Amino acid sequence: MSTTDAAPEEGRSLPLPKPKGRIQLQEYALVGVVALILIVGAILEPDSFLTSDNMLNVLRQASVVGVLAIGMTFVIATGGIDLSVGSMVACAAVAGGQLADSGSMAFVLGALAMGLVLGGINASAIAFGRVVPFIATLAMFTMARGLALWLSDKTPVSLFSLDGVRWFGNGEVIGIPSAAIVFLAITAFAWVLLNRTRYGRYVVATGGNREAARIAGVKVPWIVFSVYVITGICAAIAAILVSGRLASASPIIGNLYELDAIAAVVIGGSALQGGRATIVGTFLGVITFALIFNLLTLMDLAVEIQQITKGLIILAAVLVQRKER
Amino acid sequence: MSIKHIAGALSLSLALGLAACGGDDSSSSDAGDNQSKPTSGSSATKTDGPVKIAFSAPGADHGWMAAITENARNEAEKLGDVELKVAEGVTDSAAQADQVETLIAGKPDALVILPNEPDALMPVAQKAMAAGIPVIDIDREFTEQGAFRSLITGDNYGIGYQAGNYFADQLKCSGNVVEIQGIAGIPVTEQRSQGFSDALKRKCQDGVKIVASQPADFVPDKGLSVMENILQAQKDIDAVYTHDDDMAEGVVSAIQNAGREDEMFLTGAGGSKAAMDQIKKGGLYRATFLYNPSMSASAIRMARKIVRGEGFEDLTEPEVPQKITVPATTVTKENVDDVQELGF
Repeated sequence: MSTTDAAPEEGRSLPLPKPKGRIQLQEYALVGVVALILIVGAILEPDSFLTSDNMLNVLRQASVVGVLAIGMTFVIATGGIDLSVGSMVACAAVAGGQLADSGSMAFVLGALAMGLVLGGINASAIAFGRVVPFIATLAMFTMARGLALWLSDKTPVSLFSLDGVRWFGNGEVIGIPSAAIVFLAITAFAWVLLNRTRYGRYVVATGGNREAARIAGVKVPWIVFSVYVITGICAAIAAILVSGRLASASPIIGNLYELDAIAAVVIGGSALQGGRATIVGTFLGVITFALIFNLLTLMDLAVEIQQITKGLIILAAVLVQRKER
Repeated sequence: MSIKHIAGALSLSLALGLAACGGDDSSSSDAGDNQSKPTSGSSATKTDGPVKIAFSAPGADHGWMAAITENARNEAEKLGDVELKVAEGVTDSAAQADQVETLIAGKPDALVILPNEPDALMPVAQKAMAAGIPVIDIDREFTEQGAFRSLITGDNYGIGYQAGNYFADQLKCSGNVVEIQGIAGIPVTEQRSQGFSDALKRKCQDGVKIVASQPADFVPDKGLSVMENILQAQKDIDAVYTHDDDMAEGVVSAIQNAGREDEMFLTGAGGSKAAMDQIKKGGLYRATFLYNPSMSASAIRMARKIVRGEGFEDLTEPEVPQKITVPATTVTKENVDDVQELGF
């Protein structure tokens, strides 16, 4: 196994680098971006934007792609990519939908089981089959979508009577949407996992310099294996959240979620080539996109303006990243 | 299934402004009915043996598209003397062109195609026509006449126009309307949108206001998010016009989650079973406008007739018409029972 091209530069050949310092400026930059959007929104849409109702709405909307982006952060930290998360969301939702007659718990377990299996297939192909992540997950991108359409017979299953599943969509705890609570809890858990455990350091080390990590005793294939299982589980959780909101399990949901998740991770400041990852950055990246989508829809701006804005933000964020080097 | 087929034929003849052809053109009738009338097409008439039809449609990533392929399959099976070869599953035009090339190489008697993008698929359609294989074009029109023998299509502008008239009547020409569009920048979306605003303008001038108009790409999860945001911005909505039944499911969830289902009504488009069930039940989902996937079944019948050198019995012309438009029937609680069999 050779080292990645990006790895030998700077001081990153140390086996267990601490992913600190250099990412902080960008996190602050994104805080500034979020603040700017909030101020601009409050001026342009004074009646509807900065209300607690709408902010909770944004948080609820952000939760689906948010959970995926948190999982994606771990994959990207190892220098990998997962293009299949959107398709896995649809497939996990449909798998749960097949068991909808047996109640909410069966739905949740069915979705989680499908996420685990699909993530496990990605993980095995990449970690032990030595398939390039881009290709392995591209294959899963189309397989999972096909499986979703096949299992569902191309028709959505209504979950209208499953109060348990629907709670994830429109329930709330002390005024906060349950989907948002799930997202925040997963974010907090992921932050601890990445920044405060040996496992997290191994994940980052694997992306920074695979060879050095191996010499330092990191079981690299198992670390790689684990991160794709994480995205599989995250896809299942996202499937539960979105199905709860839709009150149905549909095989055509999740389209292009992978790109939204990757974009959020990248503008958050994690490096696509691996070795540098930030959960706080990813969280802010997700919130940034959700706020922009919300504000531009509130203003009823044309979709082309929304697309251009989103693109500009991705570009600007990456340029900031470059400058920091 | 037979009701579905008769109803399909019925909607066809409605479009032509003629009485139903009675659906008596089953496989047995034309075995004896061999006075093959000449077609204007280039292909030779084939009177014996099964009719080999090649069928190509984009990947069934959507309820409507799935129904297109399924209806074609079922129709071929039902006719008995049709051998159908189906190529589907691709999502880009170049791949579909490759598939069609392969199909043509198998020398079918006719090619039935729903082109992903008409412009991109036109060269292969022309190639088929040049090789003497009549092309029956479904839904999306090839701009060159020479690229198809017959066209059967729905009426996207008609969907918008019927919807506009329905909204004008229901709202008595006053109120706030939200429009949830399909994929931005494709003809289907533009026509469904244009027809809607044209009809509203004509009937009500500026009485009905379209207060928000956003695309949600024909998928339910996008419909949900977009509608959630619009609900935040618009505190007074009387009705929602959506471009698609599947997508409308998400819009319905957003409205229900916000507890605002008594404030407004909603319409879909396409004619899915789920939509028809909700229209029957009453409440938020008030109507849908048919864009009927039965057109692929009709296309198979047209292909077979063209190959056999026959016309439709109730038309005076001896050959299959060049263009057929399936009407965008308004489906409400009153007539939902009549059209439910067409649901997909």
